[in-house]
Amino acid sequence: MSWLAAIRTATGGIRRHTVQAVVLGTVLLISTASALLGLTLLAASNAPFQHAFEARHGADLTVTVNTTHATANQLAATRTLPGVTGAAGPFTEATVQVSFDGHSLGPRVLAGRASPGGPVDDVVLSEGHWPDGPGQLVLDAGPGGGPDYPGLGDTVTVSGTEATSTLVVTGFAISITKTADGWVTPAEATRLPVAGTVASAQLLYRFATAATDDQVHADATEIARALPAGAVVGTSSWLAREQAAAGNAALVQPFVVGFALLGLAMSVLVTGNMVAGAVVAQYHRIGILKSVGLSPAQVAVVYLSRIGWPSLAGSLAGVLAGNLLAVPVLHDSSGIYGIGRQQVPWWVSLAALAGMLVLTVLAAAGPALGAGRLSAVQAIAAGRAPTVGRGYAAHRLAARLRLPRPVGIGLAAPFARPARTLVTLASITVGATAVIFAVGLNLALSRVEQSQTLSATAPVRVQKTDPRAVPSAAQNAAVTAALDAQPGTLRDVAVYGGPQTVTVPGMSKAVTAHVFGGNASWLGYALINGRWYGSPGEVDANTAFLADSGLVVGDTTTVDLVGTGTAPTTVRIVGEVFDPSNNPSMFTGSQTLPGLTTPANLEGYDIALRPGTDTTAYLRSVNQALGGHGPWLAGPPQANRFFETATALVDLLALMVAVAAGLGVLNTVLMTTRDKVHDLGIFKALGMRPGQLLTMVVCQVAGPAIVAAAIAAPAAVALTTATVQAMGDAARTAVPTSFSHVLSPATLALLSLAPLAIAAAGALLPASWAAHVRPATALRAE
Amino acid sequence: MTQQVVAGEVIRFDGVTKAYQTGAPPALTEVNMAVTGGEAVAVMGPSGSGKSTLLNLLTGLDRPSAGTVTVAGRRIDALSEGALARFRARHVGIIFQFFNLLDDLTVRDNVLLPAQLAGASRRRARERAEELLERMGIQQYRDTYPARLSGGQRQRVAIARALVNSPELLVADEPTGALDTATGQQITAVLRELSDRGQTLVLVTHDPAMAQRLATRTVQIVDGRMVGAGAAVPAPARATGRAGGDA
Ligand SMILES: Nc1ncnc2c1ncn2[C@@H]1O[C@H](COP(=O)(O)OP(=O)(O)O)[C@@H](O)[C@H]1O
Ligand SMILES: [Mg+2]
Repeated sequence: MSWLAAIRTATGGIRRHTVQAVVLGTVLLISTASALLGLTLLAASNAPFQHAFEARHGADLTVTVNTTHATANQLAATRTLPGVTGAAGPFTEATVQVSFDGHSLGPRVLAGRASPGGPVDDVVLSEGHWPDGPGQLVLDAGPGGGPDYPGLGDTVTVSGTEATSTLVVTGFAISITKTADGWVTPAEATRLPVAGTVASAQLLYRFATAATDDQVHADATEIARALPAGAVVGTSSWLAREQAAAGNAALVQPFVVGFALLGLAMSVLVTGNMVAGAVVAQYHRIGILKSVGLSPAQVAVVYLSRIGWPSLAGSLAGVLAGNLLAVPVLHDSSGIYGIGRQQVPWWVSLAALAGMLVLTVLAAAGPALGAGRLSAVQAIAAGRAPTVGRGYAAHRLAARLRLPRPVGIGLAAPFARPARTLVTLASITVGATAVIFAVGLNLALSRVEQSQTLSATAPVRVQKTDPRAVPSAAQNAAVTAALDAQPGTLRDVAVYGGPQTVTVPGMSKAVTAHVFGGNASWLGYALINGRWYGSPGEVDANTAFLADSGLVVGDTTTVDLVGTGTAPTTVRIVGEVFDPSNNPSMFTGSQTLPGLTTPANLEGYDIALRPGTDTTAYLRSVNQALGGHGPWLAGPPQANRFFETATALVDLLALMVAVAAGLGVLNTVLMTTRDKVHDLGIFKALGMRPGQLLTMVVCQVAGPAIVAAAIAAPAAVALTTATVQAMGDAARTAVPTSFSHVLSPATLALLSLAPLAIAAAGALLPASWAAHVRPATALRAE
Repeated sequence: MTQQVVAGEVIRFDGVTKAYQTGAPPALTEVNMAVTGGEAVAVMGPSGSGKSTLLNLLTGLDRPSAGTVTVAGRRIDALSEGALARFRARHVGIIFQFFNLLDDLTVRDNVLLPAQLAGASRRRARERAEELLERMGIQQYRDTYPARLSGGQRQRVAIARALVNSPELLVADEPTGALDTATGQQITAVLRELSDRGQTLVLVTHDPAMAQRLATRTVQIVDGRMVGAGAAVPAPARATGRAGGDA
């Protein structure tokens, strides 16, 4: 018999071991897919804005010019200025009021562009098609839309000072530097009903140096100087855009990275466990192969083909599955990072595949080498019997305890094979930790969201359609009257801030003040330290405020309302509010800063609804009372898709991790129990009833599952706390303890049942098979 | 199918056929057989002829494809899995060629197990186990684990375990098949002693010497068919046979 023929014969049994091959292949599939997703997420979370900015040739500077003050030649000449490395435009630009379905979306900047691509600001079309005729519009797809945002095919109304026209939404696109809120054809842009008479256009530039505010400022000055006076009406820097994107991303990035690492760790552990277990399960067979004369090398090849084919097939399928799963995940993550599109980098597919296969070989190598050293007889014996002397004490103890015999035997069984039990234990622990961690992150993120949007406490907000507008006293009174008239209104409070500049001595930046016209404690801002302000003279501040001023909770300082002529007010900081931003902000009541509560500074009203009130119906009737055309409009808080997307992503990842973890545990327990089928046959032959047998098998995994739950619960809590902490660090803010203490003991206890349930299910599958199979068959099982 | 249960009859096979795979020839075909209390029946035949299949059917480890199996007055082919388990625990003791001891349990716990599964009282079970361990001459190993014992000692443990519930029927499938000749003879002697005390015994062997020493009757199976029910050997003749070595 030739060398290969012997191997072919010896491997012939593979079809008889389909269950094992399928289990192994499935584990590799899940592990490879989750490793691929993990790596993809890590890559996607690594400086996403910078990468997208480079890839899409983002505009360092967007310059809006008045085209009546500069000729086309003058504009074109700026392209060749020293320091300019790229330019696009001029694109005709118009600021118009956009309204949809009867309500205003506010002022929006529309630009006329023939195509999305170009040397600067390569716009990514995420949906639909680019405008190719009159009456078509592509809208910005970045966060900031909100539930009432128009969809594909919807018609929106654009109005200027004189005329009104309609446009159909043909697509959504993202400009990494957000040069416009929407795009039309160049011809359409010239026809838009412009607000005002200024004919403007936008020019997009890239510069040799534009890394800092100062450098971008110098670049802008150079452009302005090259054009006639009054030609430049406005500029916007990529740095402002980067900061906005980074602020949001910083909150979610740690969660995403947390899941990515979890996926990686799980895939490594589960695969390692599984492959090593599969090799050990084959010891008996190895012994037989050796005894019929196969050389150690031949045995090794038999093995590899046994472990190798299912692993290779599983991994390849996993790469495919991972790429498919990555589509919705990356769709969400690119939304979170405010960039157009993300893809699975080619190297990630390769790395996941190669990594998993190398891991499989390494995990198989240990026990395989061990088996190679064993003599044939030793290998046969090793495959059958546990090491002498192990677990005897446990069995003796179980025998002495007055437990029903199947329970006692089941509970003591794991001690007989400590190595295998550790593998099972590790697998259940990792799985359980993943599940609990996923739930913890989900709860933590929803608390962060709640603190940022206040959507649970104030589901309705009345805001200005044009932030610069100053409604009349009568218009403001109309809002109060409309709210009072609504039976659904539970509470409302006016919020002031507005254009008023607020300074605090010793601080480098101006402070954003949020002054409430009445009791606002019910809004439920999350507090890191101290308490919500109460009596006049008390304020709360965010982390950036405290960091910038060097003050701490309990300190006293003065607040100056610049230009109002009022004397600086002395205030005491009584609490630190979670308001992650680089900009300092403070929160107080109108009695503390009465000078700020002017109609010009009125930003809006936060409204709580009575239980059972339908928000949509409420919004409709308030807006009806307000006329529906501004200046005031009721809507959901912070029309912001950011947290919606982030929660969707974390939910998706949590589900994937939980499913993968559950399957991993299921597989491990299934394999462990399958190995014991011969023993189950003996028990049946001795008169063990099906019910007793099921009890015994469940008890066999109950011990490890309970230990796993006991390790997993605190581990998951620690991981959740660390992730939330990392989120705070990334967003340069302290974090309220309520964000990391999301898992109550009751929730934990409930979640700890998950490993028990999964392990029991994994054991019951083969056990119920064994319970109902004829003992004669079970006894014949190898 | 009607059947008359003859007084003293412990086992009755009526037209029993067992086919593992449809299409393939059955492992057992139309077997009719009866064993009376106190008999020691040796089932003989070439390898693969269906001997183990026969034992599996009469212990309820497997079910016939056709025909009826009556053991200790019960139609066991019609019992549920749970009822079969209860039946095995109370009425049958099984001894296997490869012992099939549970490696994780001590000798005593192995012996105790069927009693515990059958719900025997703790004290009674312990007394019975002690008595059997002594009778098998392995009482000094009661706290030892099977892996430390020799083949002969393991088979003694298996016999003690099979007897702990005082079953009406003791069944052994090549009990000396994994043992050397001298040890095999010792095990044969143990079984012989049990038989002499009136234990009903069905034994598979292809060792004619063992059959001769032990059996009151021998049945032959070839290709799944019973050939010649085998004349009963009266107990004295068997004794003589053992002394003479050749009947
Ligand atoms: N569980 C089973 N499944 C399929 N075939 C079996 C099974 N048990 C036994 N056989 C087949 O039935 C025939 C009789 O086997 P068996 O009763 O073990 O013979 P013996 O004990 O006389 O050597 C053999 O051909 C064997 O391969
Ligand atoms: Mg046999």
